[in-house]
Amino acid sequence: MLDEQAGVIDNRPVAEGFYQLRLAAPAIAAQAKPGQFASLRVSGQPAPLLRIPLSFAAADPQGGTIELLYETRGPKSSLLSRVQIQQTLPCLGPLGRGFGRPAPGQKVVLVGGGIGLPPLLFLGDWLRQRGHAEVALLAGARSAAKHLPGDLLRAAAPQVRLATDDGSLGHAGFVTDLLDEELAAAPGALVCACGPHGMMAAVAARCRRAGAACQVSLEEYMACGFGVCVGCVVEAAVETAGPYSRYRKVCVDGPVFDAAQVRWEED
Amino acid sequence: MADLGVQFAGIHFRNPVLLASGTCGYGKELQPLADLSRVGGLVSKTITPEPRAGNRPPRIVETPAGMLNSIGLQNPGLEGFIRDQWPFLSGLDTRVVVNIAAPTAEQHGEMAARLEALSGIAALEVNISSPNMKDGGMLFGCNPAAAAEVIGAVRRVTRLPVIAKLTPNVTDIATVARAVEEAGADGISLINTLLGMAIDVERRRPVLGNITGGLSGPAIKPVALAMVWKVRRAVKLPLMGLGGISTTADALEFILAGATAVQVGTATFFNPGAAVEITQGLDAYCQRHGVGRLASLVGVAQV
Repeated sequence: MLDEQAGVIDNRPVAEGFYQLRLAAPAIAAQAKPGQFASLRVSGQPAPLLRIPLSFAAADPQGGTIELLYETRGPKSSLLSRVQIQQTLPCLGPLGRGFGRPAPGQKVVLVGGGIGLPPLLFLGDWLRQRGHAEVALLAGARSAAKHLPGDLLRAAAPQVRLATDDGSLGHAGFVTDLLDEELAAAPGALVCACGPHGMMAAVAARCRRAGAACQVSLEEYMACGFGVCVGCVVEAAVETAGPYSRYRKVCVDGPVFDAAQVRWEED
Repeated sequence: MADLGVQFAGIHFRNPVLLASGTCGYGKELQPLADLSRVGGLVSKTITPEPRAGNRPPRIVETPAGMLNSIGLQNPGLEGFIRDQWPFLSGLDTRVVVNIAAPTAEQHGEMAARLEALSGIAALEVNISSPNMKDGGMLFGCNPAAAAEVIGAVRRVTRLPVIAKLTPNVTDIATVARAVEEAGADGISLINTLLGMAIDVERRRPVLGNITGGLSGPAIKPVALAMVWKVRRAVKLPLMGLGGISTTADALEFILAGATAVQVGTATFFNPGAAVEITQGLDAYCQRHGVGRLASLVGVAQV
Protein backbone atom coordinates (compact mmCIF):
# COMPACT_ATOMS: atom_id res chain seq x y z
CA MET A 1 0.00 0.00 0.00
CA LEU A 2 1.58 3.23 -1.21
CA ASP A 3 0.64 6.88 -1.56
CA GLU A 4 2.18 7.82 -4.88
CA GLN A 5 2.02 11.00 -6.96
CA ALA A 6 0.59 9.62 -10.18
CA GLY A 7 1.14 11.46 -13.45
CA VAL A 8 -1.74 11.65 -15.91
CA ILE A 9 -0.76 10.12 -19.26
CA ASP A 10 -4.19 9.98 -20.83
CA ASN A 11 -7.77 10.76 -19.81
CA ARG A 12 -10.36 10.31 -22.55
CA PRO A 13 -14.00 9.36 -23.07
CA VAL A 14 -14.44 5.79 -24.35
CA ALA A 15 -18.23 5.38 -24.22
CA GLU A 16 -21.24 7.48 -23.26
CA GLY A 17 -20.31 8.81 -19.82
CA PHE A 18 -17.28 6.53 -19.46
CA TYR A 19 -13.65 7.65 -19.32
CA GLN A 20 -10.34 5.85 -19.50
CA LEU A 21 -7.56 7.24 -17.31
CA ARG A 22 -3.95 6.12 -17.64
CA LEU A 23 -1.50 7.06 -14.92
CA ALA A 24 2.23 6.75 -14.45
CA ALA A 25 2.49 5.13 -11.01
CA PRO A 26 5.41 2.69 -11.14
CA ALA A 27 5.40 1.56 -7.52
CA ILE A 28 1.67 0.81 -7.54
CA ALA A 29 1.79 -0.74 -11.02
CA ALA A 30 4.43 -3.17 -9.79
CA GLN A 31 2.07 -4.56 -7.14
CA ALA A 32 -1.47 -4.17 -8.51
CA LYS A 33 -3.52 -7.37 -8.88
CA PRO A 34 -6.94 -7.84 -10.55
CA GLY A 35 -9.75 -6.87 -8.18
CA GLN A 36 -7.63 -4.46 -6.18
CA PHE A 37 -8.25 -0.74 -6.39
CA ALA A 38 -6.67 2.69 -6.18
CA SER A 39 -7.95 5.76 -4.39
CA LEU A 40 -7.41 9.11 -6.09
CA ARG A 41 -7.54 12.58 -4.64
CA VAL A 42 -9.07 14.70 -7.38
CA SER A 43 -8.86 18.11 -5.80
CA GLY A 44 -7.42 19.89 -2.86
CA GLN A 45 -9.80 19.84 0.07
CA PRO A 46 -12.23 20.93 1.35
CA ALA A 47 -14.49 19.88 -1.53
CA PRO A 48 -14.77 17.27 -2.78
CA LEU A 49 -13.41 16.01 0.50
CA LEU A 50 -12.88 12.29 0.12
CA ARG A 51 -10.93 10.33 -2.45
CA ILE A 52 -12.52 8.39 -5.28
CA PRO A 53 -11.90 4.63 -5.17
CA LEU A 54 -11.55 2.96 -8.58
CA SER A 55 -10.71 -0.64 -9.46
CA PHE A 56 -7.70 -1.22 -11.65
CA ALA A 57 -8.70 -1.90 -15.27
CA ALA A 58 -5.10 -2.72 -16.15
CA ALA A 59 -1.61 -2.49 -14.73
CA ASP A 60 1.67 -2.67 -16.59
CA PRO A 61 4.53 -3.38 -14.19
CA GLN A 62 7.15 -3.01 -16.95
CA GLY A 63 5.80 0.30 -18.23
CA GLY A 64 4.98 1.54 -14.72
CA THR A 65 1.44 2.50 -15.63
CA ILE A 66 -2.04 1.76 -14.32
CA GLU A 67 -5.36 2.21 -16.06
CA LEU A 68 -8.69 3.12 -14.49
CA LEU A 69 -12.11 3.29 -16.15
CA TYR A 70 -14.79 5.40 -14.56
CA GLU A 71 -18.29 6.68 -15.16
CA THR A 72 -19.07 10.35 -14.60
CA ARG A 73 -21.89 10.18 -12.10
CA GLY A 74 -20.99 12.61 -9.31
CA PRO A 75 -18.87 15.65 -8.46
CA LYS A 76 -15.63 13.70 -8.05
CA SER A 77 -15.84 11.71 -11.27
CA SER A 78 -16.92 14.84 -13.16
CA LEU A 79 -13.90 16.67 -11.80
CA LEU A 80 -11.70 13.71 -12.68
CA SER A 81 -12.95 13.82 -16.29
CA ARG A 82 -11.51 17.35 -16.57
CA VAL A 83 -8.05 16.38 -15.32
CA GLN A 84 -5.40 17.19 -17.92
CA ILE A 85 -2.43 15.22 -19.22
CA GLN A 86 0.75 15.84 -17.17
CA GLN A 87 -1.19 16.79 -14.04
CA THR A 88 -0.39 14.68 -10.98
CA LEU A 89 -2.88 13.14 -8.59
CA PRO A 90 -2.19 11.62 -5.16
CA CYS A 91 -2.93 7.93 -5.68
CA LEU A 92 -3.20 5.38 -2.91
CA GLY A 93 -2.85 1.74 -3.81
CA PRO A 94 -2.97 -1.08 -4.38
CA LEU A 95 -5.83 -1.44 -1.89
CA GLY A 96 -7.95 -4.41 -0.91
CA ARG A 97 -7.97 -8.06 -1.81
CA GLY A 98 -8.39 -9.14 -5.40
CA PHE A 99 -9.77 -12.16 -7.20
CA GLY A 100 -8.72 -15.68 -6.28
CA ARG A 101 -7.06 -17.79 -8.96
CA PRO A 102 -9.02 -20.42 -10.93
CA ALA A 103 -7.85 -24.03 -10.95
CA PRO A 104 -5.74 -24.96 -14.00
CA GLY A 105 -8.07 -25.50 -16.95
CA GLN A 106 -11.16 -24.33 -15.04
CA LYS A 107 -13.58 -22.31 -17.15
CA VAL A 108 -13.79 -18.71 -15.97
CA VAL A 109 -16.93 -16.68 -16.67
CA LEU A 110 -16.57 -12.93 -16.16
CA VAL A 111 -19.92 -11.22 -15.64
CA GLY A 112 -19.92 -7.44 -15.72
CA GLY A 113 -22.62 -4.82 -15.71
CA GLY A 114 -22.05 -1.14 -16.55
CA ILE A 115 -19.09 0.30 -14.73
CA GLY A 116 -18.47 -3.04 -13.02
CA LEU A 117 -16.42 -4.18 -16.00
CA PRO A 118 -12.96 -2.69 -15.31
CA PRO A 119 -11.70 -5.22 -12.73
CA LEU A 120 -12.91 -8.04 -14.98
CA LEU A 121 -10.98 -6.65 -17.95
CA PHE A 122 -7.85 -6.68 -15.80
CA LEU A 123 -8.59 -10.21 -14.59
CA GLY A 124 -9.20 -11.48 -18.13
CA ASP A 125 -5.95 -10.00 -19.38
CA TRP A 126 -4.09 -11.34 -16.33
CA LEU A 127 -5.38 -14.84 -16.98
CA ARG A 128 -4.56 -14.63 -20.68
CA GLN A 129 -0.99 -13.59 -19.90
CA ARG A 130 -0.71 -16.65 -17.67
CA GLY A 131 -1.93 -18.95 -20.41
CA HIS A 132 -5.42 -19.49 -19.02
CA ALA A 133 -7.45 -19.85 -22.23
CA GLU A 134 -10.92 -20.82 -21.00
CA VAL A 135 -12.34 -17.36 -20.31
CA ALA A 136 -15.70 -15.92 -21.36
CA LEU A 137 -16.76 -12.33 -20.77
CA LEU A 138 -20.45 -11.51 -20.45
CA ALA A 139 -20.97 -7.75 -20.53
CA GLY A 140 -24.25 -5.99 -19.85
CA ALA A 141 -25.16 -2.34 -20.32
CA ARG A 142 -28.27 -0.20 -20.56
CA SER A 143 -27.72 0.51 -24.27
CA ALA A 144 -25.19 0.10 -27.10
CA ALA A 145 -23.81 3.59 -26.44
CA LYS A 146 -23.06 2.61 -22.85
CA HIS A 147 -20.93 -0.36 -23.85
CA LEU A 148 -17.18 -0.09 -23.61
CA PRO A 149 -15.38 -0.33 -26.98
CA GLY A 150 -15.17 -3.83 -28.42
CA ASP A 151 -11.36 -3.83 -28.54
CA LEU A 152 -11.19 -3.25 -24.78
CA LEU A 153 -13.59 -6.12 -24.17
CA ARG A 154 -11.97 -8.52 -26.63
CA ALA A 155 -8.56 -7.95 -25.04
CA ALA A 156 -9.94 -9.46 -21.86
CA ALA A 157 -11.38 -12.70 -23.18
CA PRO A 158 -11.38 -14.83 -26.32
CA GLN A 159 -15.15 -15.14 -26.03
CA VAL A 160 -17.23 -11.98 -25.50
CA ARG A 161 -21.03 -11.86 -25.29
CA LEU A 162 -22.98 -8.64 -24.95
CA ALA A 163 -26.39 -7.81 -23.57
CA THR A 164 -28.33 -4.54 -23.47
CA ASP A 165 -31.43 -3.63 -21.51
CA ASP A 166 -32.94 -1.92 -24.56
CA GLY A 167 -31.86 -4.56 -27.09
CA SER A 168 -29.75 -2.10 -29.08
CA LEU A 169 -26.76 -4.46 -29.05
CA GLY A 170 -26.36 -8.18 -28.42
CA HIS A 171 -28.83 -10.09 -26.29
CA ALA A 172 -31.94 -8.07 -25.42
CA GLY A 173 -32.22 -8.48 -21.67
CA PHE A 174 -30.07 -9.11 -18.67
CA VAL A 175 -26.55 -10.40 -18.69
CA THR A 176 -27.69 -13.05 -16.23
CA ASP A 177 -29.69 -14.70 -19.03
CA LEU A 178 -26.36 -15.33 -20.77
CA LEU A 179 -24.89 -16.65 -17.54
CA ASP A 180 -27.59 -19.32 -17.37
CA GLU A 181 -26.43 -20.65 -20.73
CA GLU A 182 -22.77 -20.61 -19.70
CA LEU A 183 -23.48 -22.43 -16.45
CA ALA A 184 -25.51 -25.06 -18.28
CA ALA A 185 -22.54 -25.69 -20.58
CA ALA A 186 -19.85 -25.49 -17.87
CA PRO A 187 -21.31 -26.20 -14.41
CA GLY A 188 -17.85 -26.34 -12.80
CA ALA A 189 -16.99 -22.80 -13.90
CA LEU A 190 -15.60 -20.07 -11.69
CA VAL A 191 -17.80 -17.00 -12.03
CA CYS A 192 -16.32 -13.58 -11.29
CA ALA A 193 -18.84 -10.74 -11.21
CA CYS A 194 -18.87 -7.00 -10.77
CA GLY A 195 -21.73 -4.61 -11.42
CA PRO A 196 -24.85 -3.16 -9.83
CA HIS A 197 -25.78 -4.79 -6.53
CA GLY A 198 -28.96 -6.32 -7.93
CA MET A 199 -27.05 -7.91 -10.80
CA MET A 200 -24.50 -9.43 -8.44
CA ALA A 201 -27.23 -10.76 -6.16
CA ALA A 202 -28.82 -12.43 -9.20
CA VAL A 203 -25.46 -13.85 -10.32
CA ALA A 204 -24.77 -15.16 -6.81
CA ALA A 205 -28.19 -16.83 -6.64
CA ARG A 206 -27.74 -18.51 -10.03
CA CYS A 207 -24.27 -19.77 -9.11
CA ARG A 208 -25.54 -21.11 -5.81
CA ARG A 209 -28.29 -23.04 -7.58
CA ALA A 210 -25.86 -24.35 -10.20
CA GLY A 211 -23.22 -25.19 -7.61
CA ALA A 212 -20.68 -22.95 -9.34
CA ALA A 213 -18.01 -21.02 -7.43
CA CYS A 214 -18.66 -17.29 -7.49
CA GLN A 215 -16.55 -14.29 -6.55
CA VAL A 216 -18.04 -10.82 -6.48
CA SER A 217 -16.33 -7.44 -6.38
CA LEU A 218 -18.47 -5.17 -4.20
CA GLU A 219 -18.85 -1.42 -3.91
CA GLU A 220 -19.87 0.64 -0.87
CA TYR A 221 -19.54 4.26 0.20
CA MET A 222 -15.96 4.55 1.37
CA ALA A 223 -14.22 7.25 3.39
CA CYS A 224 -10.65 6.01 3.80
CA GLY A 225 -10.11 2.89 1.67
CA PHE A 226 -7.60 1.32 4.04
CA GLY A 227 -9.60 0.00 6.95
CA VAL A 228 -9.70 2.73 9.58
CA CYS A 229 -13.12 4.31 9.09
CA VAL A 230 -15.14 1.06 9.07
CA GLY A 231 -17.68 2.75 6.83
CA CYS A 232 -17.75 0.53 3.73
CA VAL A 233 -19.15 -2.64 5.22
CA VAL A 234 -21.14 -5.52 3.83
CA GLU A 235 -23.13 -7.96 5.92
CA ALA A 236 -21.63 -11.43 6.15
CA ALA A 237 -23.77 -14.51 5.46
CA VAL A 238 -22.98 -15.83 8.93
CA GLU A 239 -21.39 -14.40 12.05
CA THR A 240 -18.33 -16.60 12.31
CA ALA A 241 -17.01 -15.05 15.50
CA GLY A 242 -19.76 -13.11 17.27
CA PRO A 243 -21.25 -9.70 16.49
CA TYR A 244 -17.88 -8.14 15.59
CA SER A 245 -17.77 -10.41 12.53
CA ARG A 246 -21.25 -9.48 11.25
CA TYR A 247 -20.04 -6.70 8.97
CA ARG A 248 -16.93 -7.00 6.84
CA LYS A 249 -14.99 -4.11 5.36
CA VAL A 250 -15.20 -3.88 1.58
CA CYS A 251 -11.89 -1.98 1.45
CA VAL A 252 -9.63 -4.49 3.24
CA ASP A 253 -11.61 -7.73 3.57
CA GLY A 254 -12.74 -7.23 -0.06
CA PRO A 255 -13.63 -5.72 -2.42
CA VAL A 256 -13.66 -9.28 -3.81
CA PHE A 257 -15.65 -11.71 -1.69
CA ASP A 258 -16.76 -15.29 -2.12
CA ALA A 259 -20.45 -14.73 -2.94
CA ALA A 260 -21.41 -17.44 -0.45
CA GLN A 261 -19.93 -15.37 2.38
CA VAL A 262 -22.14 -12.36 1.65
CA ARG A 263 -25.71 -11.91 2.91
CA TRP A 264 -27.82 -10.97 -0.11
CA GLU A 265 -31.05 -9.08 0.38
CA GLU A 266 -33.36 -11.87 -0.77
CA ASP A 267 -31.70 -14.39 1.60
CA MET B 1 13.91 22.85 15.43
CA ALA B 2 11.35 24.29 17.83
CA ASP B 3 10.26 22.48 20.97
CA LEU B 4 6.85 21.08 20.03
CA GLY B 5 6.42 19.10 23.26
CA VAL B 6 3.38 19.72 25.45
CA GLN B 7 2.28 18.62 28.91
CA PHE B 8 -1.33 17.52 28.96
CA ALA B 9 -2.89 16.28 32.20
CA GLY B 10 0.53 15.19 33.41
CA ILE B 11 1.42 13.37 30.18
CA HIS B 12 4.25 14.59 28.02
CA PHE B 13 3.52 14.45 24.30
CA ARG B 14 6.48 15.02 21.95
CA ASN B 15 4.18 17.18 19.87
CA PRO B 16 0.55 18.25 20.27
CA VAL B 17 -0.86 16.40 17.24
CA LEU B 18 -2.79 13.21 17.95
CA LEU B 19 -4.82 10.96 15.71
CA ALA B 20 -8.49 11.06 16.67
CA SER B 21 -10.46 8.04 17.81
CA GLY B 22 -12.25 6.22 15.01
CA THR B 23 -9.94 7.56 12.32
CA CYS B 24 -6.79 5.54 12.96
CA GLY B 25 -8.27 2.16 13.89
CA TYR B 26 -6.01 0.35 16.33
CA GLY B 27 -2.84 1.68 14.71
CA LYS B 28 -2.10 -1.34 12.55
CA GLU B 29 -4.19 -0.21 9.59
CA LEU B 30 -2.59 3.22 9.33
CA GLN B 31 1.01 2.32 10.05
CA PRO B 32 1.97 1.54 6.43
CA LEU B 33 0.85 5.03 5.39
CA ALA B 34 1.89 7.27 8.28
CA ASP B 35 4.97 7.25 10.49
CA LEU B 36 3.28 6.96 13.86
CA SER B 37 6.55 7.73 15.66
CA ARG B 38 6.19 11.27 14.37
CA VAL B 39 2.80 12.12 15.84
CA GLY B 40 2.19 13.06 19.45
CA GLY B 41 -0.06 10.08 19.97
CA LEU B 42 -3.09 8.21 18.81
CA VAL B 43 -6.49 7.67 20.33
CA SER B 44 -7.67 4.15 19.61
CA LYS B 45 -11.11 3.44 18.20
CA THR B 46 -13.84 3.29 20.84
CA ILE B 47 -14.18 0.00 22.63
CA THR B 48 -17.27 -1.11 24.54
CA PRO B 49 -17.60 -3.79 27.25
CA GLU B 50 -18.90 -6.35 24.74
CA PRO B 51 -18.19 -6.69 20.99
CA ARG B 52 -20.48 -4.66 18.74
CA ALA B 53 -21.58 -5.28 15.16
CA GLY B 54 -22.15 -1.61 14.41
CA ASN B 55 -24.98 -0.09 12.38
CA ARG B 56 -26.38 -1.33 9.11
CA PRO B 57 -24.88 0.22 5.96
CA PRO B 58 -24.70 2.61 4.23
CA ARG B 59 -22.62 4.17 6.98
CA ILE B 60 -20.85 6.94 5.09
CA VAL B 61 -21.93 9.80 2.86
CA GLU B 62 -19.98 12.81 1.72
CA THR B 63 -21.52 16.25 2.30
CA PRO B 64 -20.22 19.72 1.38
CA ALA B 65 -16.71 19.98 2.90
CA GLY B 66 -17.55 17.16 5.24
CA MET B 67 -18.97 13.70 5.68
CA LEU B 68 -21.55 11.90 7.73
CA ASN B 69 -20.82 8.60 9.43
CA SER B 70 -23.03 6.21 11.31
CA ILE B 71 -20.56 3.42 12.03
CA GLY B 72 -22.14 2.67 15.39
CA LEU B 73 -18.99 1.70 17.29
CA GLN B 74 -18.25 -1.58 15.53
CA ASN B 75 -15.53 -2.93 17.81
CA PRO B 76 -14.14 -6.19 19.22
CA GLY B 77 -15.13 -5.43 22.81
CA LEU B 78 -12.86 -4.88 25.80
CA GLU B 79 -11.41 -8.38 25.99
CA GLY B 80 -11.01 -8.67 22.21
CA PHE B 81 -9.17 -5.36 22.26
CA ILE B 82 -6.84 -6.47 25.04
CA ARG B 83 -6.17 -9.81 23.35
CA ASP B 84 -5.91 -8.81 19.67
CA GLN B 85 -5.15 -5.09 19.49
CA TRP B 86 -3.27 -4.02 22.59
CA PRO B 87 -0.09 -6.04 21.92
CA PHE B 88 0.48 -4.10 18.69
CA LEU B 89 -0.62 -0.74 20.08
CA SER B 90 1.56 -1.03 23.17
CA GLY B 91 4.60 -1.63 20.97
CA LEU B 92 4.20 1.61 19.04
CA ASP B 93 6.66 4.41 19.56
CA THR B 94 3.92 6.90 20.39
CA ARG B 95 1.52 7.73 23.22
CA VAL B 96 -1.65 5.66 23.11
CA VAL B 97 -4.88 7.03 24.57
CA VAL B 98 -7.58 4.36 24.87
CA ASN B 99 -11.12 5.50 24.10
CA ILE B 100 -13.98 3.75 25.92
CA ALA B 101 -17.79 3.83 25.93
CA ALA B 102 -20.44 1.79 27.74
CA PRO B 103 -24.19 1.72 28.34
CA THR B 104 -23.96 2.59 32.06
CA ALA B 105 -21.73 4.68 34.33
CA GLU B 106 -20.90 1.56 36.31
CA GLN B 107 -19.72 -0.30 33.19
CA HIS B 108 -17.47 2.63 32.29
CA GLY B 109 -15.88 2.13 35.71
CA GLU B 110 -15.50 -1.61 35.15
CA MET B 111 -13.77 -1.02 31.83
CA ALA B 112 -11.42 1.53 33.35
CA ALA B 113 -10.56 -0.85 36.19
CA ARG B 114 -9.77 -3.64 33.74
CA LEU B 115 -7.60 -1.36 31.58
CA GLU B 116 -5.74 -0.26 34.71
CA ALA B 117 -4.11 -3.70 34.64
CA LEU B 118 -2.39 -2.98 31.30
CA SER B 119 0.84 -1.07 31.28
CA GLY B 120 1.60 1.59 28.73
CA ILE B 121 -1.74 3.38 28.40
CA ALA B 122 -1.13 7.13 28.37
CA ALA B 123 -4.70 8.09 29.28
CA LEU B 124 -8.33 7.09 28.94
CA GLU B 125 -10.64 9.11 26.73
CA VAL B 126 -14.26 8.61 27.70
CA ASN B 127 -16.65 8.81 24.76
CA ILE B 128 -19.75 10.41 26.22
CA SER B 129 -20.46 11.97 22.87
CA SER B 130 -21.08 9.44 20.09
CA PRO B 131 -24.27 10.36 18.20
CA ASN B 132 -24.43 6.78 16.86
CA MET B 133 -24.80 4.93 20.16
CA LYS B 134 -28.40 4.34 21.19
CA ASP B 135 -27.50 3.12 24.68
CA GLY B 136 -24.85 5.60 25.73
CA GLY B 137 -22.43 8.07 24.20
CA MET B 138 -24.23 11.32 23.51
CA LEU B 139 -27.05 10.34 25.90
CA PHE B 140 -24.57 10.91 28.73
CA GLY B 141 -22.80 13.87 27.19
CA CYS B 142 -26.05 15.82 26.66
CA ASN B 143 -26.82 15.84 30.34
CA PRO B 144 -24.36 17.45 32.78
CA ALA B 145 -25.39 15.22 35.68
CA ALA B 146 -25.12 12.02 33.61
CA ALA B 147 -21.79 13.15 32.17
CA ALA B 148 -20.48 13.76 35.70
CA GLU B 149 -21.72 10.38 36.86
CA VAL B 150 -19.80 8.56 34.09
CA ILE B 151 -16.60 10.55 34.62
CA GLY B 152 -16.89 10.08 38.39
CA ALA B 153 -17.24 6.32 37.98
CA VAL B 154 -14.07 6.19 35.88
CA ARG B 155 -12.19 8.61 38.14
CA ARG B 156 -12.79 6.49 41.24
CA VAL B 157 -11.15 3.36 39.80
CA THR B 158 -8.15 4.60 37.84
CA ARG B 159 -4.94 6.50 38.33
CA LEU B 160 -4.69 7.09 34.58
CA PRO B 161 -5.47 10.57 33.31
CA VAL B 162 -9.16 10.73 32.40
CA ILE B 163 -10.17 12.78 29.37
CA ALA B 164 -13.87 13.45 28.75
CA LYS B 165 -14.78 13.71 25.08
CA LEU B 166 -17.70 16.09 24.70
CA THR B 167 -20.49 16.39 22.18
CA PRO B 168 -21.36 19.67 20.45
CA ASN B 169 -25.02 18.63 20.32
CA VAL B 170 -25.93 20.51 23.49
CA THR B 171 -27.41 23.86 24.45
CA ASP B 172 -24.36 24.95 26.44
CA ILE B 173 -21.16 22.93 26.22
CA ALA B 174 -19.57 25.00 29.00
CA THR B 175 -22.07 23.59 31.52
CA VAL B 176 -21.11 20.03 30.58
CA ALA B 177 -17.41 20.95 30.70
CA ARG B 178 -17.78 22.31 34.23
CA ALA B 179 -19.68 19.18 35.28
CA VAL B 180 -16.91 16.82 34.13
CA GLU B 181 -14.27 19.05 35.69
CA GLU B 182 -16.03 18.82 39.04
CA ALA B 183 -16.39 15.05 38.59
CA GLY B 184 -12.63 14.68 38.42
CA ALA B 185 -11.69 14.71 34.73
CA ASP B 186 -8.06 15.58 34.00
CA GLY B 187 -8.74 16.95 30.55
CA ILE B 188 -11.41 17.50 27.93
CA SER B 189 -11.40 16.69 24.24
CA LEU B 190 -13.88 18.49 22.05
CA ILE B 191 -15.77 18.18 19.79
CA ASN B 192 -17.25 14.87 18.68
CA THR B 193 -19.38 14.94 15.53
CA LEU B 194 -22.46 17.06 14.96
CA LEU B 195 -25.71 15.19 14.42
CA GLY B 196 -26.74 15.33 10.79
CA MET B 197 -28.50 13.54 7.95
CA ALA B 198 -28.75 13.34 4.17
CA ILE B 199 -31.61 12.25 1.91
CA ASP B 200 -31.29 10.57 -1.48
CA VAL B 201 -33.77 12.54 -3.58
CA GLU B 202 -33.95 9.96 -6.37
CA ARG B 203 -34.86 7.14 -4.01
CA ARG B 204 -36.65 9.52 -1.61
CA ARG B 205 -35.19 8.06 1.52
CA PRO B 206 -32.37 8.74 4.00
CA VAL B 207 -28.93 7.81 2.67
CA LEU B 208 -27.60 6.34 5.90
CA GLY B 209 -28.89 2.98 7.07
CA ASN B 210 -29.08 4.49 10.56
CA ILE B 211 -30.96 7.55 9.14
CA THR B 212 -28.82 10.04 11.10
CA GLY B 213 -25.08 10.20 11.60
CA GLY B 214 -22.27 12.40 12.79
CA LEU B 215 -20.94 15.26 10.67
CA SER B 216 -17.16 15.72 10.56
CA GLY B 217 -14.55 17.36 8.37
CA PRO B 218 -13.69 20.97 7.48
CA ALA B 219 -17.38 21.92 7.54
CA ILE B 220 -17.47 21.70 11.34
CA LYS B 221 -14.18 23.44 12.10
CA PRO B 222 -15.61 26.90 12.92
CA VAL B 223 -18.17 25.30 15.26
CA ALA B 224 -15.49 23.30 17.05
CA LEU B 225 -13.21 26.30 17.36
CA ALA B 226 -15.93 28.43 18.93
CA MET B 227 -16.61 25.68 21.44
CA VAL B 228 -12.94 25.38 22.38
CA TRP B 229 -12.88 29.14 22.87
CA LYS B 230 -15.95 29.01 25.06
CA VAL B 231 -14.86 26.02 27.16
CA ARG B 232 -11.38 27.54 27.62
CA ARG B 233 -13.10 30.31 29.55
CA ALA B 234 -15.29 27.95 31.58
CA VAL B 235 -12.78 25.44 33.01
CA LYS B 236 -9.14 25.17 34.07
CA LEU B 237 -8.63 21.72 32.53
CA PRO B 238 -6.34 21.27 29.53
CA LEU B 239 -8.19 20.90 26.24
CA MET B 240 -7.65 18.73 23.18
CA GLY B 241 -9.24 20.47 20.23
CA LEU B 242 -10.67 18.57 17.31
CA GLY B 243 -13.22 19.04 14.58
CA GLY B 244 -12.22 19.43 10.94
CA ILE B 245 -8.49 19.98 11.47
CA SER B 246 -6.83 19.30 8.11
CA THR B 247 -3.95 21.78 7.89
CA THR B 248 -1.27 23.38 10.04
CA ALA B 249 -3.26 26.61 10.14
CA ASP B 250 -6.30 24.73 11.40
CA ALA B 251 -4.26 23.19 14.22
CA LEU B 252 -2.79 26.58 15.11
CA GLU B 253 -6.25 28.13 15.33
CA PHE B 254 -7.23 25.59 17.98
CA ILE B 255 -3.97 26.06 19.89
CA LEU B 256 -4.30 29.83 19.83
CA ALA B 257 -7.91 29.47 21.01
CA GLY B 258 -6.71 27.55 24.04
CA ALA B 259 -6.24 23.89 23.10
CA THR B 260 -3.07 22.38 24.58
CA ALA B 261 -3.20 19.59 22.01
CA VAL B 262 -5.20 18.79 18.89
CA GLN B 263 -6.53 15.70 17.18
CA VAL B 264 -6.63 15.09 13.45
CA GLY B 265 -9.58 12.97 12.38
CA THR B 266 -11.38 12.99 9.06
CA ALA B 267 -8.35 14.50 7.28
CA THR B 268 -6.54 11.18 7.70
CA PHE B 269 -9.18 9.54 5.48
CA PHE B 270 -8.29 11.62 2.43
CA ASN B 271 -4.68 12.33 3.40
CA PRO B 272 -3.18 9.56 5.57
CA GLY B 273 -0.10 11.70 6.18
CA ALA B 274 -2.07 14.76 7.35
CA ALA B 275 -1.11 14.55 11.04
CA VAL B 276 2.60 14.11 10.28
CA GLU B 277 2.47 17.01 7.81
CA ILE B 278 0.85 19.20 10.47
CA THR B 279 3.65 18.47 12.96
CA GLN B 280 6.15 19.57 10.31
CA GLY B 281 4.06 22.64 9.59
CA LEU B 282 3.94 23.59 13.27
CA ASP B 283 7.71 23.41 13.45
CA ALA B 284 8.04 25.61 10.37
CA TYR B 285 5.57 28.10 11.83
CA CYS B 286 7.52 28.31 15.08
CA GLN B 287 10.75 28.90 13.24
CA ARG B 288 9.19 31.53 11.01
CA HIS B 289 7.82 33.40 14.02
CA GLY B 290 10.76 32.90 16.34
CA VAL B 291 8.73 30.77 18.74
CA GLY B 292 11.01 28.55 20.84
CA ARG B 293 8.30 26.53 22.55
CA LEU B 294 5.03 25.79 20.81
CA ALA B 295 3.35 25.42 24.21
CA SER B 296 3.81 29.15 24.74
CA LEU B 297 1.17 29.75 22.05
CA VAL B 298 -1.65 27.95 23.85
CA GLY B 299 -4.56 30.33 24.31
CA VAL B 300 -2.68 33.47 23.34
CA ALA B 301 -5.35 34.66 20.91
CA GLN B 302 -6.94 37.31 23.09
CA VAL B 303 -9.43 40.05 22.53
